[in-house]
Amino acid sequence: MTLELSRLRKAYAQFGFGPVDLTVDDEVLAVLGPSGSGKTTLLSLIAGITSPGSGSIQLDGRELVGFPPEDRRVGMVFQEGALFPHMTTRENIAYAATASDRVDELATLLEVTDLLDRRPPTLSGGERQRVALARTLATDPDALLLDEPLSSLDTPIRKRLRDELHSLFESLDIPVLYVTHDQRTATALGDRIAIVRDGALEQVATPSAVLTRPKSRFVARFTGNENLFAGTVTDRTADEAMVQFGDVRVHTTAPNHSASAVTVCIHPSRVEVEAPDVADGDRTANTVTGTVARWLNEGSEYRVDIDIEAGSLALTANVRPPTFERLGLANGSEVHVLIPEESIHLIPDVE
Amino acid sequence: MASRTNSDRTGTVTFGFDWLSVALVLGGVLLLYYVVPMASLFLSVPAGDILARMTSPTVVDSATTSLLSASISTVVATLFGLPLAYWLARTDGAVTKGVLAVVVLPLVLPPTVGGIVLLTVFGPGSPLGEAAIAAGFPLTRSLAGVVLAQTFVASPFVVVTAKAAFESVDQTLEYASRSLGKSRLTTARHVTLPLAGSGILAGVTLAFARAIGEFGATMMMAYYPRTMPVQIWVAFIELGLDNAYPVAILLVLIAAAALLILNTVASNPWE
Repeated sequence: MTLELSRLRKAYAQFGFGPVDLTVDDEVLAVLGPSGSGKTTLLSLIAGITSPGSGSIQLDGRELVGFPPEDRRVGMVFQEGALFPHMTTRENIAYAATASDRVDELATLLEVTDLLDRRPPTLSGGERQRVALARTLATDPDALLLDEPLSSLDTPIRKRLRDELHSLFESLDIPVLYVTHDQRTATALGDRIAIVRDGALEQVATPSAVLTRPKSRFVARFTGNENLFAGTVTDRTADEAMVQFGDVRVHTTAPNHSASAVTVCIHPSRVEVEAPDVADGDRTANTVTGTVARWLNEGSEYRVDIDIEAGSLALTANVRPPTFERLGLANGSEVHVLIPEESIHLIPDVE
Repeated sequence: MASRTNSDRTGTVTFGFDWLSVALVLGGVLLLYYVVPMASLFLSVPAGDILARMTSPTVVDSATTSLLSASISTVVATLFGLPLAYWLARTDGAVTKGVLAVVVLPLVLPPTVGGIVLLTVFGPGSPLGEAAIAAGFPLTRSLAGVVLAQTFVASPFVVVTAKAAFESVDQTLEYASRSLGKSRLTTARHVTLPLAGSGILAGVTLAFARAIGEFGATMMMAYYPRTMPVQIWVAFIELGLDNAYPVAILLVLIAAAALLILNTVASNPWE
């Protein structure tokens, strides 16, 4: 099954969506973007809740534009579940089910068998989303759309449900579009991630590509990439180049574009922090010295801000707790910072 | 500072007014103004006397006419009012505002003026009225005339109250239903109507209460057959106040029943 959007546009008074071209195969595409960027509009257009100004949407070769939601075979899970409050869980699922034995089958799959006789107002947020998903799957849709289904849930439940969704999505052989504004959810669930900005797709790529090779400063910043510096490419040869930013000059593989004015982008998780007592001779070209300016314990890792080369740059590094403790880091600690050349990503400055 | 606040507080209690009590006293006067005449009505005639007169042909006839006409008016108002209410609830813009203003017009228009307006269209002098008379189905001085007058005055209650009821149904639920493969009609029947049900019932009840009490427009359109309000008027003018009591008491009981419905099965729009 393939979902194909081409030249899809929708104009609003305050906001223009598109043109969007997108192909989604039997995979999970996480649609990531800030609120108001057009994520929900994208889903509404595919579901048939809004009609586009122009463009086409094809599902398995079938044109959807011009057809009402009920004739599209596109399942949608809404933000708060949108369960019918006057029906029990069983009635909600049965309302959608193509066959009556599907109700118990899906209730078992989504672990809501105990909830079948209860009404939605008595369910917790997580339970509601399970039921909503069961109800949508009961229609055997040809494509599945989910609009921030986990956003209103507490962290432990969100994480658990996220893991369950991951394996559930793998068992579905249909295009799944999962809208979220949370980068962690997007990278955890998406086979690919589409970054939406101002109604257009900024970048569509695998999670690791989006994280380490963002196409623009916007993508970099939105995916938690805090290390963005104005830089200049020098000494360019066929397969290598030097890049200068602040007082730092590092060696990198040659960028695949000819711009010399670039934004240097280094993901905090790719920066390695080492003790300063390494002899100067052991320093590779991409090791710089710095001082810890501040640090923050973010639970699974430490976020360490380092002033590089006497304060000409402020670089952020994610440090794993064992490393943090081994180095005994504190404010003012001298450190060596290793920037692997494959982790230096250059975004050409436009204009 | 703390001690001063304390003395201020004590001062209020000792010397000051409790404004809530004053409000209650003023409101109490108004409440008595509602309750005393109502009680007085029931006490002014012996109960046995009332029961005897309830069975007189004029009372029975007017009650039959009123219940029949008000029921038909309510059905007509609901049949045409619900679709309009749904449309108003799901549309925005200048047109919607204009349409809503037109719907509310019969509510603010004096009923006698409403009657005159209707007479210009359905009266014996109008082409439509003449044609209806020729066809043997007169639109004035007939049950049809009563229904026309009552529907004009009462139907806005259905539209306005049902509109609010439809608006209270989250539109996402309708989208959810349709994305589950259900048509607009199925969605309306299984999702929207059940959820808006108690609000709609409130509108229908209000419309019925308004229709059964309709006097001004009915007087203009159909003096005969007499509805209960018209019968009260006739009895009062021709035979004096005492003779108007039985029908008045009947109407009070019907109004009380309507209130009971509003406060139990329907959602009271004023709460």
